Amino acid sequence: MEAVPPPQPLIDIDSHGFWNALADGRFAMQRCSTCRLFQHPPAERCNACGSTVAYEELSGGGEIFSFIVVRHPTVPGYLDDLPYVVALVELDDQPGLRIPTRLAGAEPTDVSIGQRVQIALVDLAGGNHTVAVFELAE
Amino acid sequence: MNATTMDDIAVVGIGRTEFTRGSGRTTLGMAAEACRSAIADAGLTPADIDGIANFQAGDSHPGLAVARAIGVDQLSLCLDISGGGNQACAVVANAAAAVRTGQANTVVVYRSMNGRSGKRFGVATDNGSSPLAVGGEGQFNAPQGYMTPPQWMAMWTKRHQHVYGSTCEDLGQIAITQRRHAHDNPHAIKRELVDMDGYLNTRWVHEPLRLLDCTMEVDGAAAIVITSLDRARDLPQPPVVIHAGSESHGQGGSWDQWEDPTVMYSHYAAPLLWQRAGFGPTDIDFACIYDCFTYTVMAVMEDFGFCDKGEVGDFFSEGRATHGGDVVINPHGGLLSEGYIHGMNHHYEAVHQLRHHAGNRQVEGAETALVTAGAGPYGGALVYTVDA
Ligand SMILES: [Zn+2]
Repeated sequence: MEAVPPPQPLIDIDSHGFWNALADGRFAMQRCSTCRLFQHPPAERCNACGSTVAYEELSGGGEIFSFIVVRHPTVPGYLDDLPYVVALVELDDQPGLRIPTRLAGAEPTDVSIGQRVQIALVDLAGGNHTVAVFELAE
Repeated sequence: MNATTMDDIAVVGIGRTEFTRGSGRTTLGMAAEACRSAIADAGLTPADIDGIANFQAGDSHPGLAVARAIGVDQLSLCLDISGGGNQACAVVANAAAAVRTGQANTVVVYRSMNGRSGKRFGVATDNGSSPLAVGGEGQFNAPQGYMTPPQWMAMWTKRHQHVYGSTCEDLGQIAITQRRHAHDNPHAIKRELVDMDGYLNTRWVHEPLRLLDCTMEVDGAAAIVITSLDRARDLPQPPVVIHAGSESHGQGGSWDQWEDPTVMYSHYAAPLLWQRAGFGPTDIDFACIYDCFTYTVMAVMEDFGFCDKGEVGDFFSEGRATHGGDVVINPHGGLLSEGYIHGMNHHYEAVHQLRHHAGNRQVEGAETALVTAGAGPYGGALVYTVDA
């Protein structure tokens, strides 16, 4: 048992839709109404053209762009949970659109760059939030 | 060549405190000591100072407080820059610009931090009892157990290893060479020599980075004094000229969305710098490369054109990065071994060397130095030269 839970998101007006979607079981990011680019982290308007944005569900598939094996106790909530793999996942929905994520259930030796991954939603301990982790695709 | 230089501004004084693992002092006290020391080194008194500049990440005393603590009651320039080591060249360049544009005559620039005993950059939190609440981009990452610079840097390192076949041993060559340099530096916090076995046997922090790939967090302060070259020529120390500088801060500062982690800010800053300086990497005698991590040295050296992609390990193992080689990299041992004063100590070392005061670690005949600041998406660089 962890005495201290993992960090909780400090949600703001721009990120509200991201966390709300996860709570509803959907993995979504902001997409521009005009140029149709996805963007992350979120902002009030499209970074590229200044148009309005809306959260849109993503496919949930991606590829490992890079990864690390966390071996030193660093982040509260994960201090006794070593080692674990964090992968930087490039999402299928747009080249260069990435998100760092724990690779659930993966042994460090099973992981390599370029592997396919698929989203899995899990509850975040210590609060009422859902987070998107990824797991190696079959 | 149309060089855009700052050749009429010089560094005339340098100062620093002892670097320790637990100062038992305030950042105010250490800043004041380093600034007083730099002013005295310049042959000046606090009455000659009309500008102060520093950078900090909410972890240090502001310029106005430090000015008061060294007996300067009126400032015509008081510049508090927000940031970490990414601002360590910007703060000097902006102080130089202030002198050139007449905003101030003589500026003391400092960085003071309890980087070990106070706020630590590699640690998420002290052992609090309530959960951390993390905002900004970190709100998406911290809940995943991913929130500190060593983790981000490991992620970038792994990508470089994948694309260019660089290895942990290549990183080890950097750590080993810099430690050998620190061995000759009494001010360095880590001086014992290390070999490849020693490097490989230190524990993992976050794979692929080991303990010796990470900077040595310390408490301390460093300061330099800047004025016009005209005034500098009347002062006791040989002037060190701020020849040229460049900055690059890009892609929103996101370590996750940065297009290609096999290059850093320096991919953009380097061509600008060489263009402004009117020369290139082969003209540099020694370089104080910002080395929060060994991988920063690797990527930044590639970006500045000291060697080709994937060749940095060989460059070090063949002796090209040390005395008698192409360019001496971090002759003081760098942040990895001298201590992590967020790169302000790089400026101290550059000036010390260009004055030819560095004793048994002196870079022979040193006339030009590159100092870099920052890592990943943001940073800058300066070229210093001796007074022609
Ligand atoms: Zn748009």
